[in-house]
Amino acid sequence: MADEIKTLSAELARDPHSLVFLRLGDLLRQRGQLDAAHRVALNGLERHPHLADAHDLYARILADKRDYERAFDEWDMARRIAPGHMGALKGLAFLYFKVGDVAQAVAHLEEAERVAPDDFNIQQALAMVRGQPMGSAAARTSGHGGLQPGSPSAPSAASTPSTPPPAPLPPPPAVAEEPMAPPAGPLEDRRVFAGLEGAQEGLLLLDAAGRVLGGALRDWNGADVTEAVAAYLAGVSLEAGRTAKLLGLGAWTGLAAEGQLGHIHLAQPGPDALLLLVRDRSVPMGRLAIIAQRAAMTARRWLEQQA
Amino acid sequence: MTTRAVEAWTLQPLVKFTKEAEARLVLLMTSAGQVMAQHGFSRAVEVMSAAALGAAIIASTAEMAKELKQPPFAALSHQGERHGIFLAGFGTPRGMLVALVVYDIEVSSVGLVQLFFEQFVADLQAACPKEGVPKQVLAADFERELSDSLKTLFGR
Amino acid sequence: MTAAGYARTLDLVTRVRGVRGAMLVSSDDGLVVAEHLMEGIKGSAVAALAASLANRLRRAMVAAGVGASVFWHLQCEQGALLVVPAASAIIVVAVAEPDVNVGLVRLELLRAAEAV
Repeated sequence: MADEIKTLSAELARDPHSLVFLRLGDLLRQRGQLDAAHRVALNGLERHPHLADAHDLYARILADKRDYERAFDEWDMARRIAPGHMGALKGLAFLYFKVGDVAQAVAHLEEAERVAPDDFNIQQALAMVRGQPMGSAAARTSGHGGLQPGSPSAPSAASTPSTPPPAPLPPPPAVAEEPMAPPAGPLEDRRVFAGLEGAQEGLLLLDAAGRVLGGALRDWNGADVTEAVAAYLAGVSLEAGRTAKLLGLGAWTGLAAEGQLGHIHLAQPGPDALLLLVRDRSVPMGRLAIIAQRAAMTARRWLEQQA
Repeated sequence: MTTRAVEAWTLQPLVKFTKEAEARLVLLMTSAGQVMAQHGFSRAVEVMSAAALGAAIIASTAEMAKELKQPPFAALSHQGERHGIFLAGFGTPRGMLVALVVYDIEVSSVGLVQLFFEQFVADLQAACPKEGVPKQVLAADFERELSDSLKTLFGR
Repeated sequence: MTAAGYARTLDLVTRVRGVRGAMLVSSDDGLVVAEHLMEGIKGSAVAALAASLANRLRRAMVAAGVGASVFWHLQCEQGALLVVPAASAIIVVAVAEPDVNVGLVRLELLRAAEAV
């Protein structure tokens, strides 16, 4: 790689208008030389302001630098220049998923799928974002899942950010050696809920950003929907808090909902944590509230131990 | 997404509003179409077009209101398949300002935009310097003024 | 349904002890369709926020595989928001005291949703 960087640098020095800056910038980015990559990309952009690939490269570097706002603008620009630009579509999907806007992430991945219907990576990413079973252990990743670089369902290295995932919170005690998210296959109980009724399924503990701390969820078809639900719940919690505050109702203490196929109860065991309990319709809402209360107490104790 | 302001006092209210209303694009301008602040736009040419169109719509509806012998319309709202737009004029000590808000209907709604827009107007009115009237942009200076504003808004 | 019909429907909800107001809200745009509120409750804010929360909750519930919501209840320290989605992208909303009889309000909201 070092030799290639030297060769490309020399070529760019000979011909500053050359498009080799795209390859050079990406190689530097992959090596973690982000400042150098940044300079190369900016110089290239000045000479090729209407080149979608140049905006895509710059966006990837910005994303690696965790400057997500500007990365969004650059991918947005790449997409405006070339509406079907795969790097831009995947990059935007990645950023949307990162902030928990699953609908937009899906919309961008679907657009990418229309452009490249045979791209298996996109299909995998879509399945993961929609919360469908992946059929492959490698397709699952922790945190924000398959859209994260490094997983097979993430966009390729040449067209996506290699942004590291957000720093994970300490895992529950019983699973200290496990990754944050459960591996594919049977979902395992987490000690945080051990001893509680139905602890093996239908209980989910999240942090405020929608990252899973414990528990797991499957839909009625048996598909693991943990990550997708977690991403949506962060938004629900924020909106519940804002609603309660702006309507002068004080702090929210619980959100109970009856669905056509099941019931849910959402509680806050701590200031930065959310607890979701899901049961089928045979469990009355009142009983659900009691189970949720017990689970919240257990979760609160566990969270306090981590503090 | 970036938020930039030509007049610094508009920045904080705008940042707060865009966050609360979860707006995708916001343009704050004078009724003549002179841009004061923007959020979410990535190209100068888009700001110029949006400002010109927004100011023209407000001017047209104000004329229609005159024809109907009633005060100017408070706001205008359109909802498309994926995005909605909200356009409204309001008074400040610096004269009438116009805000153009574009939101994603999956994320926000006209109800949320309206709700937080009331506070946005109040925040701007409170932050607006009471002394000093902004100079009129003469035709001869217009291009330079516009160019300066766009440089500030896009940092280029 | 006429405006008078909406008013009658909402009136039945607000008769439940502890209910401070009831509204019909357009869930797509978060705007008030009809309202029957006690003084001090800002209808436009309730409508915008309840619709937004309803939409976010609906997505989470569908993702969780429990289907669209039939009724939901946001419990707060100083009050509660109770919501039933009706047909035609309308939600029926009640703002209530924290100790309201939730079962009774739920029944009235379901009746109101059927009538809309």
